[in-house]
Amino acid sequence: MTGAEATALSDGMNASLATLKDVAGIAGSFVCTPNGRVVAREISALFDDAVLVEAGSRLVRMREAFAAGGDELEVGVVRFRDHRIYLKSVGDSLLCILAEGAVNMPSLRMAANLVGRRIGGAVAQLEAEPPPIRTPPPPPAPPPSRRMAEAPPGMRRFRGRPVD
Amino acid sequence: MTTQLKGSNSSDDEDRTAPGVEPGAAVGFRAKLAGVSLWDLVQMECMARSRLVVLVTGEGGIGYLYFDRGQVVHAITTDNVGEPAALEILGWTNGSFQPSDRPWPETRTIFTSHEALILQIAKRRDEASNLVAFPTRGAAETAHGAPRDDDAAAADDVEMFELEEEGAASMRSSDVSDLPPPQPQPPAPAPARNDFTSADFPVMLRLSPQGAILRNNGGSEELAEMMAYVRRLTDLAGEFLGLEGFTALECTFTKGRCLAFVDSNGDTVVLRPRPEANLQALRDRLGL
Repeated sequence: MTGAEATALSDGMNASLATLKDVAGIAGSFVCTPNGRVVAREISALFDDAVLVEAGSRLVRMREAFAAGGDELEVGVVRFRDHRIYLKSVGDSLLCILAEGAVNMPSLRMAANLVGRRIGGAVAQLEAEPPPIRTPPPPPAPPPSRRMAEAPPGMRRFRGRPVD
Repeated sequence: MTTQLKGSNSSDDEDRTAPGVEPGAAVGFRAKLAGVSLWDLVQMECMARSRLVVLVTGEGGIGYLYFDRGQVVHAITTDNVGEPAALEILGWTNGSFQPSDRPWPETRTIFTSHEALILQIAKRRDEASNLVAFPTRGAAETAHGAPRDDDAAAADDVEMFELEEEGAASMRSSDVSDLPPPQPQPPAPAPARNDFTSADFPVMLRLSPQGAILRNNGGSEELAEMMAYVRRLTDLAGEFLGLEGFTALECTFTKGRCLAFVDSNGDTVVLRPRPEANLQALRDRLGL
């Protein structure tokens, strides 16, 4: 898959995620793959990608923890004081929806089901993609060594040292 | 342990039912009864509208209950007087129960019915025996919707008193003809978990904030470890997203469900409900 194709898939998913906001109280959503990539997002820019990756990878790990105990997560609701995170498994990825505490849960469930179905194909394609190879940064340049002075004419040098 | 329910304090074993017993002497039955709870004894005295003082010796010490006209009107223990003393005594599960000639109090100190007193103790006992104290929606609800089986179970928790009855008639202020018709039994104590029963949750686990298993009913160490880890992960995810105060979690799996919530003392309670259990009321309470 080319980068342009991946971008197109993500854009399509973002559009689907945007429909979730029809439900009052939904602040935003994102999709996190098992390897921790955020492949789609429709949430305030206050949450930058790094934050979503960190939060999403914890939630993915939570699902893995349940799976290790033999429980395959379908839907999860994590309630915080004023908000909740609604989780829905889409393929091997997680659709994470951030909502207010007073959100209409039946509406949220229904909307999440529809969006989950709609983005399922795209998520599967993106999951099949290997994670982007992170090229390690070039090693820092070695400190400049003291350059040997040019040998005076007639001086013989071996491996940088004057020899008689 | 021997208990004289109603009768003289004399320890003689004279056969008062034998011919020739003097009229007016204390007469009555002596009985040894097994399987009688203190609550039963209190209710018996109240139904009989006795006016008497009873010395109760229990695991918490000694105390006196004062009965008059079908009510407990006064109580005293070494630490408490009045209703607190009555509640203390009614909380004892083992001991003796025997009449006493202790002087009558100058003033009545208890105005709560004996049914209400027993109800309070039953609720305390039930709550103490619960692994899970489910969040309540309101006090008004606690008195309703109590399944009868749970009521009976709460009453069954009471260990039984052994009873020996002697000279009952002499201890009553009224004779048999004055006894009121049998009264309906007091309302059975309502359990704390008024709309949930342990049968709905085959797995109930209580974890300390450090993840230690405090109580376990049907769970496993692996489940405890998993839930402790899950709890940590949800906290972290919340922190990254700026969400504070994890309170509860519900997960639906391909097979089964799991709920966890933070109790008022910071413990995490984990529940695995039966597939057919209706959790909507609990969800409402937990904000799920």
